[in-house]
Amino acid sequence: MTLRRIATVTDLHQYLQVALQLEHATIPPYLTALYSMHPSTNADANRVIRVVAVEEMLHLTLAANLLNAVGGEPDLTVDGFVPVYPCHLPDGEDDFEVGTRAFSPEAIDSFLKIERPAEGENQRFVARKRSHRALLPRVDAHEDDLHFFSIGEFYAEIGDGLHRLYEQHGEALFCGDTARQVGPEYYYSGGGAIVKVTDADSAAAAMRVISEQGEGLGGGIFDEEGELAHYYRFQQLLLGRYYQPGDDAGNPTGPTLDVDWDAVYPIVADADFHHYTEPGELRDAVLAYSASYGDFLARLTEAFRGHPELLLPAVADMFRIKELASQIMRNPMPGRDGMNAAPIFRGLASVGLSSVKVA
Amino acid sequence: MADDALLARRTDADVQAVFLSLSATLTGYSRFRLLGTGQVEPYLVTTRSAVGDDVFGELLSAFAAVERESADDPAACDRALRALVLSDEKLGPIARNLIKMWFVGTWYELPQEWRDRFAAGEQLATHVVSPASYTEGLLWPTIGANPPGAKGQGFGSWVGPPNIETS
Repeated sequence: MTLRRIATVTDLHQYLQVALQLEHATIPPYLTALYSMHPSTNADANRVIRVVAVEEMLHLTLAANLLNAVGGEPDLTVDGFVPVYPCHLPDGEDDFEVGTRAFSPEAIDSFLKIERPAEGENQRFVARKRSHRALLPRVDAHEDDLHFFSIGEFYAEIGDGLHRLYEQHGEALFCGDTARQVGPEYYYSGGGAIVKVTDADSAAAAMRVISEQGEGLGGGIFDEEGELAHYYRFQQLLLGRYYQPGDDAGNPTGPTLDVDWDAVYPIVADADFHHYTEPGELRDAVLAYSASYGDFLARLTEAFRGHPELLLPAVADMFRIKELASQIMRNPMPGRDGMNAAPIFRGLASVGLSSVKVA
Repeated sequence: MADDALLARRTDADVQAVFLSLSATLTGYSRFRLLGTGQVEPYLVTTRSAVGDDVFGELLSAFAAVERESADDPAACDRALRALVLSDEKLGPIARNLIKMWFVGTWYELPQEWRDRFAAGEQLATHVVSPASYTEGLLWPTIGANPPGAKGQGFGSWVGPPNIETS
């Protein structure tokens, strides 16, 4: 599959499916860092990362609403939906890698790259040699080394595409079944207000939430609602100080923020099935975790395909997933002194495949 | 005394391994689950400071003997545990305290009769080991509930049946 600039509704569907994949791809790295902290420590860092992770879940749901609104089929179970970490982001940026790692200054540094602000109108694409680790599609079949510079630019292309297609098709663009729209009755208290997408205005509103919460608005560090953009939230952890209104990028002047980089389980980086070849409870737990994560994504897919009420029990699933992740991270890795285990976010199919490989 | 030689001879990792094994046998929860609570180290430190190095060494040695005698036969292990640990006047109350600590996160002061006969120094009073030991109590997964005020399960999750692990 090749992504090209959005010219047709099918192109738009592809982009929005990539948007789902992109929003999801940030969640395992954020959750891994979050759960790697010792309990009752790092209250500030815990809150900062948790808030961003939850907002990514909102963005995922908004992307599903957008895709449904234009008649697409959200699918979180398609092969390769969950990246094998470390990886490049699905929108094609390839100058940095994203992984599932313990909370550390290096991990926060990679989060800053994920959330980096757009550089400006003229830099939507950057020309770089294409990496073999790029998960996804070129931007254009004829321009092999063209990538989006940041998530912001990827969404700017979707915004432009929506606009162009709306001019061609009018309200007929929003032909999706409105019963598939996830509203506040099923998604609440999760990083901001959910927007049902049924027309051009609501589509623009959903897009605004996604792009402003990420990187800030037009170079500012706060968005329209006065919320600090993700990039600057993470930056506070490295600078040891909170931003407050009126601050300039790079110079927070709010209260100090305490980070204890040592109160962290020393978990294996980018855990994968080959780390767990030794039969036993730990391996069983890691496989069970991956399988239940796959079940969870299947449940979300069902929720996004006409059963939004399934999001309510999915919340309980998320708490169980968190609990099992924490248990795994407190267990030492057999044969690797001073290193703890970490969960794998993959799914059922991959568990099957990998069992064959490691057996 | 041969028993406290166990502590002297073994590394911290060995001591922790025997303590973990004893805890798994006493609670019926797997080593993975016990490690997953993050409480192995704090409970080991609590027990050791409550009874002193000598008695703690005797407890671990007695359990090591149980494991040797039963050789992975669960029924033999159960018999040996009752004979060598639980019915022992010195070690039994400690083992029962350990079970309670794992399930509710609280160290209970040892019984008066035990203190009169075996206490070497100041007694460790009844206390919750730490805020985490409350939320990590095995009581909660045993009944398929969440510790009230902690580890939320999600709004409305109480309409579903408890999620009790049976394996």
